[in-house]
Amino acid sequence: MLGRFLRPSTVAYAHCDIPCGIYDPTAAKIAADTVAKMVEKITALDKNATDFTTRGNFVRMITVKEQHAEICKKELQVLWSDYFKPEHLEKFPKLHDSFWKALKLASKNKQNVDAQAATDLQAAVKEISDMFWATKK
Amino acid sequence: MAVRGHSMEPALREGDWLLVLPPRRAMRPGDVVLARDPHDRSRLVVKRVGGREGDDVVLEECTRHPSESGRFGVVPSSDVVGRAAFRYAPLSRFGPVRA
Repeated sequence: MLGRFLRPSTVAYAHCDIPCGIYDPTAAKIAADTVAKMVEKITALDKNATDFTTRGNFVRMITVKEQHAEICKKELQVLWSDYFKPEHLEKFPKLHDSFWKALKLASKNKQNVDAQAATDLQAAVKEISDMFWATKK
Repeated sequence: MAVRGHSMEPALREGDWLLVLPPRRAMRPGDVVLARDPHDRSRLVVKRVGGREGDDVVLEECTRHPSESGRFGVVPSSDVVGRAAFRYAPLSRFGPVRA
């Protein structure tokens, strides 16, 4: 009864967007590299094999590819919306375009098994990563 | 007022219950205040005051690494709802709120 009376009716947020402001494009890079690796391994599978081991590996690799394409997307979105600021846009006018294209590529990699798309995603993440580290100099 | 989040540690912890007093004087650097979130006015944030810019109050981002984190945002002093003065729960941390 007393506890209910004392319980605050208001909540105030004491959060940081990212704890302690730590941002790092490495997570997006690892995710993009994983996608590329999975595409490579999926493509190397025997397309005609019907045994459970091969089928199991195929399903697993597809799952990992799609999960990491999604992780890559999330990591990029956090950098885009939370790390980069208007003054960075002045320095890198193509910042928005780079992010937009990279996110589209992440989606494309989620949907398809496409070696070219995987390579393009790695390049797009590297481009963003280069801009990120340039802001740290 | 209940605290949610970790940006004010160690001064405030998630789950702390605080008594908030209406602002009776101008906010000073170091005061812990309850204010409208400058990024989302529908909710309240609890932050430490970093300084003042005219009639506006600068809220610090994260108290664990103040030098790195910079500012959380700037609010007009009319958006400062009150000053967190006293913690009444948990009892082990009962006492005035220190910046």
